[in-house]
Amino acid sequence: MNLAHLHLLLNHWPIIGAFVGVGLFVVSLAAKSADLRQASLALFVLIALLAIPAYLSGNAAAESIKELPDLSTALIQTHEGAAMMAFLSLEITGVFALLALWPFSRAGKDPSSKPQSAPQWNIALLFFSLATAVLMAIAGNTGGHIRHAEIVPESGGSSVVGAAGAELIRAANHVAVGYSRWVWPGLETLHFLGLILLLGTVGLVNIRVLGFLKQLPLAPLHRFVPWGIAGLIINVITGFLFFLGMPFFYVFNAYFQTKILVIMLAGANLLLFHCTGAFRAWENVGPNEDAPLFAKLVAASSLVMWVAVVVIGRYIPLGE
Amino acid sequence: MFRDVTKCAAVALPQFFQTIEETGLSTWARDTPFWVIISIHAIGMTLLVGASAAFALRIFGVARDLPLAPLRRLYGIIWAGFWVQVASGGLLLIAYPTKSLTNPYFYVKLALIGLAMFVMERLKRRVFGDAGLSEPDMMANGRALAAWSILLWLGAVAAGRILAYTYTYVSYAG
Repeated sequence: MNLAHLHLLLNHWPIIGAFVGVGLFVVSLAAKSADLRQASLALFVLIALLAIPAYLSGNAAAESIKELPDLSTALIQTHEGAAMMAFLSLEITGVFALLALWPFSRAGKDPSSKPQSAPQWNIALLFFSLATAVLMAIAGNTGGHIRHAEIVPESGGSSVVGAAGAELIRAANHVAVGYSRWVWPGLETLHFLGLILLLGTVGLVNIRVLGFLKQLPLAPLHRFVPWGIAGLIINVITGFLFFLGMPFFYVFNAYFQTKILVIMLAGANLLLFHCTGAFRAWENVGPNEDAPLFAKLVAASSLVMWVAVVVIGRYIPLGE
Repeated sequence: MFRDVTKCAAVALPQFFQTIEETGLSTWARDTPFWVIISIHAIGMTLLVGASAAFALRIFGVARDLPLAPLRRLYGIIWAGFWVQVASGGLLLIAYPTKSLTNPYFYVKLALIGLAMFVMERLKRRVFGDAGLSEPDMMANGRALAAWSILLWLGAVAAGRILAYTYTYVSYAG
């Protein structure tokens, strides 16, 4: 398997996931089913995570076919632009889904009450998830054009969305590496701030679960987690700008590839065990009480993975 | 002509930069261990600044139901992180003394870290110094210092990042 193969394996998930997610979400609203809604929200966040390697590996796929005969660079650029727009829309959807998902992790004052997220998140989610589904369809279609001449329309397969996205990619590249030599260290400062927030809060929750600083009750400590997620979001944005600044430095870099893989696993851990109803099983751990063994395993793996992400990140310059 | 200028300037650098760079420890730290040291420096930063930030967030009212008193133990993590940074940062300094010591941002970074640690200790005394204080009083007492600590840490991190991308001389030899 190479990176082009990986791109083909990953790129169908965000497309199909977006459609399944919209369907589940609409049904959950109509049926007033909290469980169904939780599932659709978690699905949106998971595919928002999975879309990261799907997007990044596209650069390697483009590089690997550039020598092939009868290849249209214009079609590749259109697809890349459309994929960028779909990716952005999905990431925004993922953030709103996370906001709507958060109340599911908290029992609140009345443990028997159904979690309610603010209605404005539902409206935002409905809008962005529908937009994502449409943009994903365009990204998939323009991607198909690259190696399937038989489906390219007579008009040549250009796309307004694709052109806009390509323009955005050029602009982001210019901001990251062309505009000023102070932008890169500035972005790195934000990237460090994000990792400090993430490790300082999620790391703290993890070491408490493992049995250190045991006087701290778990449920109030868990209130720090959204700040860690804010740090993670800052780092996805700044990290993506680094990538757009030097895509071909990163995409073939083994340290970078490993880092993305570990971020996927650590991100899924954070999502499943801290942002869904799963956390309710542990939130009653009070001062000086031991967390369950399974919680400790989850916390240990989370801690090891986030530390690994930082260390592997520091090794990226070596992987040229 | 350009070469002459560099040569003249290089002569003006203190001799002990060269002495340090020629030691076995300096040569060792510039080799493969460099990446281990710099990784430890990043992890130490998450301990030092991460624990400081968590404490400051609690003072601002995040995780309000979390009792303040046990958070005094965060200072154990903060100081552990500080000494990890002194040790790993010291090795990085021995690896590249000329690059660091001829860069004004190095001194800015050090000054900001010193100020941040001073503010963190003041914060500890203001919040935990009087055992009779209620939690809202402890928070009100600490708010301004907690805000200063965040600003100073942000400045120290920024100075550190700029330090990595700017230099006057990389090494004594040029």
